[in-house]
Amino acid sequence: MRKDREHQIKEAGAPAGENGLAPHTGFHSDVNELYPHEKAPSHLGSLLTLLGEKTLYDAAAQCNRCGYCETSCPTYMMTGRETISARGRNQFVRMLVEGRAKDPADAKESLSTCLLCGACSSACYAGVPTPDIVLEGRRSLDGYGDNFFARAAVNTLLNAPRLFAFWLRLAYLVKRTGLPTLAAKMGLYDFIGMPALAEAETTVKEAPLRFASEILSGDPDLSPADKKKIDWAYFAPCGPNFVFTDVALATVRVLKRHSGEGVLIGNQCCGLLAHNYGRLSDAREFARRNIARYEELREKFGPFRVVADCSSCAAFMKSYEQLFTNDPEWRPRAKAFAGAVSDVLEFIPPDKAGEPASGACAGTVTYHDSCRACHGQGIRRQPREVLRKLAGKSYRELPESDWCCGGAGAFAFTQPELSARVLDRKLRNIASVQASTVVVGATSCLAQIGAGLRKCYPSARAVHYTVFLDEASNK
Amino acid sequence: MFKKDRIAGIRQPLEEIVGRENVRTGEADILMYSYDAGMARARPEAVIDISSASQVAPVVKLLHGAGIPFLPRLAGTNLSGGTIPLKGGAILNLARLKKIHRIDTAAKVAVVEPGVVNMELQKALEPFGFFYAPDPASQKVSTIGGNIGENAGGPLCLKYGVTADNVEKLEVVTPEGELCTWSYRDPGPDLMGLMVGSEGTLGIITRAWLKILPIPPHIKTASAAFPSLDEAMRAVVRIISSGILPRALEAMDKVSLDASLGGRKGHFPEGTEAVLILELDGEDPVRIRTELETAHKICHDHGCAAFKMAESEEERAMLWQARKGAYPALARLAPDVLVEDGVVPRPLLPEALKATREIISSYKLTAGLLFHAGDGNLHPNIVFDRRDNEEVKRVKKAGYEILKSCIALGGTISGEHGVGVEKRVAMNWLYGPGELAFFQSIKRAFDPAGLANPDKILPVAADRPPAARQPKGLADTFVFPAKSGLSPEARDIVDELRLRSAAGTRTAVTGLGTRLGPGRIMEGAKPLQLARLSGIVEIDGENLTARVEAGLSMAKFRSALEKEGFRLELPELKGSVGGLIASNVCPDIRGLLLGLQVATAEGALLELGGKTVKNVAGYDAVRLLCGSLGAYAVILSATFAVSAGKAGKGENWKEPAGWDAFEPGPMQRRLKKELDAGNLLNPWVYGDRPSR
Repeated sequence: MRKDREHQIKEAGAPAGENGLAPHTGFHSDVNELYPHEKAPSHLGSLLTLLGEKTLYDAAAQCNRCGYCETSCPTYMMTGRETISARGRNQFVRMLVEGRAKDPADAKESLSTCLLCGACSSACYAGVPTPDIVLEGRRSLDGYGDNFFARAAVNTLLNAPRLFAFWLRLAYLVKRTGLPTLAAKMGLYDFIGMPALAEAETTVKEAPLRFASEILSGDPDLSPADKKKIDWAYFAPCGPNFVFTDVALATVRVLKRHSGEGVLIGNQCCGLLAHNYGRLSDAREFARRNIARYEELREKFGPFRVVADCSSCAAFMKSYEQLFTNDPEWRPRAKAFAGAVSDVLEFIPPDKAGEPASGACAGTVTYHDSCRACHGQGIRRQPREVLRKLAGKSYRELPESDWCCGGAGAFAFTQPELSARVLDRKLRNIASVQASTVVVGATSCLAQIGAGLRKCYPSARAVHYTVFLDEASNK
Repeated sequence: MFKKDRIAGIRQPLEEIVGRENVRTGEADILMYSYDAGMARARPEAVIDISSASQVAPVVKLLHGAGIPFLPRLAGTNLSGGTIPLKGGAILNLARLKKIHRIDTAAKVAVVEPGVVNMELQKALEPFGFFYAPDPASQKVSTIGGNIGENAGGPLCLKYGVTADNVEKLEVVTPEGELCTWSYRDPGPDLMGLMVGSEGTLGIITRAWLKILPIPPHIKTASAAFPSLDEAMRAVVRIISSGILPRALEAMDKVSLDASLGGRKGHFPEGTEAVLILELDGEDPVRIRTELETAHKICHDHGCAAFKMAESEEERAMLWQARKGAYPALARLAPDVLVEDGVVPRPLLPEALKATREIISSYKLTAGLLFHAGDGNLHPNIVFDRRDNEEVKRVKKAGYEILKSCIALGGTISGEHGVGVEKRVAMNWLYGPGELAFFQSIKRAFDPAGLANPDKILPVAADRPPAARQPKGLADTFVFPAKSGLSPEARDIVDELRLRSAAGTRTAVTGLGTRLGPGRIMEGAKPLQLARLSGIVEIDGENLTARVEAGLSMAKFRSALEKEGFRLELPELKGSVGGLIASNVCPDIRGLLLGLQVATAEGALLELGGKTVKNVAGYDAVRLLCGSLGAYAVILSATFAVSAGKAGKGENWKEPAGWDAFEPGPMQRRLKKELDAGNLLNPWVYGDRPSR
């Protein structure tokens, strides 16, 4: 019997493990029924996971269905439905890849309700990259961005006329300022992803007549001329650049004050929005341009940090390598670029963040972990250290601080009901510590939480991290 | 495969109860509820999202009326396929029932809905300085309803008992849609106890009254690193038999430790092959310190390389994170993991470990070994990839061999994860046809239509090995297992019951006459004297169990124990062991009762439970018989968990009035009909004839 059994076992030739047991030899599969081969360029070549580079199938199959992510998934907690939970979404993509789920349209609800917050990946010991897996699923279901745009445009026109008006204004500004033709060519879809813009519009009473990059390009301190070496280059993400210009200006002031010499990198959109709406080739183009720009500066100044003040963009840029896994030329360049990116949340150490301002912090200050900061980049400690130093006893920890605010790209208007419920929980937690200032690190959260507070809890405000730092220094 | 559109036929009334959008039959929801954390897969026909506990009974009634199978589901984290709809039908999704109705610190009870996540309850209790003892590793996601359904354990159940010991009362919707509330304190058979661990096959829990406890003022946690897992196991055996009762005593091997620490090094010395986590609690810091010193010394004797107190809350949290994260962390090694859940009497842990390792290495598999060591509960976590069919076969075979090895050591096949579908076949190896028939009777009594989570727990025809003989008639069930160690007196009783059963003679089961005096015995029932059945079968000092015959007086049992240096954690009780169990005058007995040997009305000998402190293989018939007043079966002997050390001062215990104020409800009557159709045992309890 024993001999038979031995015979059946693959001769894996694996050495015995330290405990006398053979280590697991692994199993790799190229099965993929999610999309036809010719669509491969519109997908990721492979996923860079915590456990190494994996095909989509292997990455999804790494989930052993233990379910430990479920309570971290905001949409599961709101609905109690496996179908719109982290584990469910993973299983769905896996079933699509295996061909066990026959009609991809069935997955629409499951995949379109994902906030992409990544809380599940943080909870997962194997770090299964659910947001990337969901996006791969969405890409094929949504027709690589084309259908989505059409649908979103119609939805927006119907349900959020103010947002649509805002688009038009942006379109006007885009024209006026002559944004790179690429963005213009792609239409407006890349702006719709800016979180809860409909709400943002109420914050930004008048859309900025000049974008941050325009204003900053006139700043002599940022001029590359006369500089031999720089410490940082400011990357202006779309949110601060186009909408929350005060954030961009505050970031630059803070960087200038505390972090040595720097320049504007003169970037394009990081490509996240194109990426999230299914247009990988556009995202890659954005990435290549930013990488090339970085390389130019690096050539001139040697090593420096690329500092961005929106965690979504910073996190995405840190994952540029994943866009180019099948591109031997760009992959190393993307990796080098990604390694140079810093979120402003992690960039400023407490000893350089200024002195605690006496009496400056009227009311309680608290910190909301933007998903792309805590789940996307693992940034939790650094901003807290700075805030504790600046706000002293006024700082209070926010319960469930890493619970998504529900902004999450276009989620706020593609899933208005779910988004509102997710936000509601955030607002309740903010109210529970009686905060008057909620510090955030991503524009998505700034707009979503800001709008929620104005509506339900007007005595508190949401401010961007650098704006808070800047204010503290001025007092 | 299924009768087409069974759901369509009742869709309209269903929607009227739960709302239109909550009856889901789309492909997406069907697929998403076709799996759980185990290996089995099957498609439901509908998923019904329940948004109020009051919807459960009417929905069940409707499904029952239409003959559609159903099962309740919460987080779907169970490890034995318990939430897989093997016969299609409807899944009742109770995950939205998340209300904590009440936290009553004076009565020490929390009243909750089934969808409350275990950890959420803990967090709600913490501000009051209370906790709920069962703490399965999955407590971050698993729910109270699921914990009750599976009779979940956890590290703390070493001291505080499993879920069944921490539930006070349950509101249950029976498989026919009737709403019942049962408590183990009610007179009569313990239906509440039977519900715990029944995996949704006997009904659906809609509300639970849970026992909550004050957080002890002193909690100390230590870790002990060993260069050998075997030595760690030996240390465990000695620690427990030295009389220390830790709050938790957990063990993990290097594979699990490496997985859950994820490469973080430095906490344990090089060459560590096993780590014990020892946690003590109590009122008296001096006693805790002394016990820790004793444990330290024992560990040292067994080659412990580093015995370390957790100095800070962070360090303690790190240890528990490592332990509780070990199972999910195995996802780092491979995409699938099979978790076995065998239990053996604690002193046999080293043997069980040896057998497990041999099996795993002979099948060339990798496993992380985790142990609720203090309980004798082993969790080999075998990692694999289900896409590799050949490997899956090996894993399954290895899993079954491990279970067989636990049975061979006098243990059981599941301590806390349930039987579900994946360990169903193993029930054949653990039990004889008599016990299985007993369980079947229980299922039939509760669910005659067989619609509540069908084909779970009990083996179906396909699980039966071809060679196994099925009992053709009564005579075939009289195979006395060698392990039973029946005394001549017990054999006489069994023979007598067989004769009486054949002749249709009614029996009055009498012990020492403490409670069942001649006045109570119905005329025409022939007494069956158990007083002669008074042997002490075994006092197992290492395992801390004792098995005694039913006619032994509790006082004699106590003094026999005391002579050997052990005690029963019970007040001083009058009467015989069997009488005390059957009358339920002191409901706390159930907490110490590990196993019963009983004879049915027909004289079939059954071994229920065993000598392990955890056992969820099959229905909890042991608890059902607590308070059964001798009308379901005759108790021959009982196995108790005992404690090391002298008995303290006997508490003042007063026998409660009204222990016999038992008015049988419909479910108890149905059980009676199934278990003793001829109403031969203590016939007056259920009236002259059990109602149909």
